[in-house]
Amino acid sequence: MPNPESLIWVAAVTTVIWVGLFVYCIALDRRVRRLEEGQ
Amino acid sequence: MTRKALKIWFPWVLGVWMIVVIVAAFFYAPPAQGFKGESSRIVFFHVPQAWVAVLAFCVNLVASVRYLRRRDPLDDARAAAAARLGLVFSVLATITGSLFARVMWGSFWNWDPREVSIAILLLVYAAYFALREMVPDEERRSTLSAAYAVLAFVTMPFLIFVVPRIYWSLHPDTIISASGQLRFEMESRMRQVFFGSLMGFTGLFAWLYTLDVRLARVRMSRARREEV
Amino acid sequence: MLGKEVTAELRSRVALNAIGLFALTTLVAVAYQIGPYQIAEEDRPHLLAALLWIILFFAATSGLARVFVKEEDSHTAKTLRLAARPTAVFVGKYLFNLVLLLALYDVIVPLFCALMGYAVAGVPGLVMVMVGGAVALAATSTIVAAIISRASGSSTLFAIMSVPLVLPLLVFLIRGTRDAAGSGDLQPVLASLRAIVAYAGVTLITSVGLFRVVWND
Repeated sequence: MPNPESLIWVAAVTTVIWVGLFVYCIALDRRVRRLEEGQ
Repeated sequence: MTRKALKIWFPWVLGVWMIVVIVAAFFYAPPAQGFKGESSRIVFFHVPQAWVAVLAFCVNLVASVRYLRRRDPLDDARAAAAARLGLVFSVLATITGSLFARVMWGSFWNWDPREVSIAILLLVYAAYFALREMVPDEERRSTLSAAYAVLAFVTMPFLIFVVPRIYWSLHPDTIISASGQLRFEMESRMRQVFFGSLMGFTGLFAWLYTLDVRLARVRMSRARREEV
Repeated sequence: MLGKEVTAELRSRVALNAIGLFALTTLVAVAYQIGPYQIAEEDRPHLLAALLWIILFFAATSGLARVFVKEEDSHTAKTLRLAARPTAVFVGKYLFNLVLLLALYDVIVPLFCALMGYAVAGVPGLVMVMVGGAVALAATSTIVAAIISRASGSSTLFAIMSVPLVLPLLVFLIRGTRDAAGSGDLQPVLASLRAIVAYAGVTLITSVGLFRVVWND
């Protein structure tokens, strides 16, 4: 039943989703920091 | 460790941590007994999401109560930030739970009390924001949504503790097998990944929540300065 | 306060009409659609209990949502704030809502049982569940009505906010009704009743506390 290829597939997609979200959040983080320093 | 340094490296550590958790969830931890194929792996993501949704609810309550006491607009910002994240994570938890139900029992919705609780939590968050949308005045918005948050919090225990007891006898077969958490005997590797994921998701909540509040603070001090 | 409410209501009969009409029309619609069909014997108690409470709950929504909004509309709200202590206002409105709900149940429940052929074995149990239900629903409805009156006053918002709060209560009520209808034995009904009373108590206490904040904002 466990199909190694499909597992890699799902893991890869999950990782991509996470990395995408993470990059977005880092951008937000940067923006907030810039606003704080601009004070 | 200065606060500034923490602000900078914490997100990156979190980023890498989550990647490790994802990889470990699929390749390091073995699939659990009694679950269809690899479907038990979703538990590593589903349960922490539900946990964060509940955590957000508690943070929202604390901030709401504080707002009602001190009327500090920052507390309202905190409550809203927590609620926003709570909404997101309860949606995620409902979706992942639903996917899991599809694999395990063939249908997307099974009236498992835990699934129902998370869906109702979702409805509470949605109602919270619906209320906020309808109140233009800031102070009033904060007061009313804080009041609703307290009311919702007070009724939640009935849903979480009392209803399952009643549901058990109504739908015996679905529920007993549905409470995967109870029968999810975790051997050490699974436990490691599970707690790693739990910590990761909590860290994610902490980061995003803090970010939201920091942004609110900046906006508030900016608005204050413009008034002068 | 209660006296004032009742007189005002008897004069205008707005809420009474809304709640009564809604309940009656929904009941007729349900009876017409479902009546002719045979519901399996074992499903009947639960299904009919659920239908009944859905009708009662949404009737309550239509009738109770505006209980504070009408004050804002007629500009009597400011006077009320000055004239009475918040708790008195709340209790007055709450008791009024309670009476309204009990009157509604008195009419609709027998009608429902007659139209849908709902044979009720344990009437005392049913009465207790109904009273408990009214006490609890009146509590949530009053505080939510107060909140929405300070927001947009829309009944939709009232429904959106009430439903998540009231769902656990509905579970207890439906189960209690089902058990009461199913047999004359009070034991199983008591379990649901305990939950209903606990829910009502918690909601009432919290509502009284929150009302002060919401009213004087």
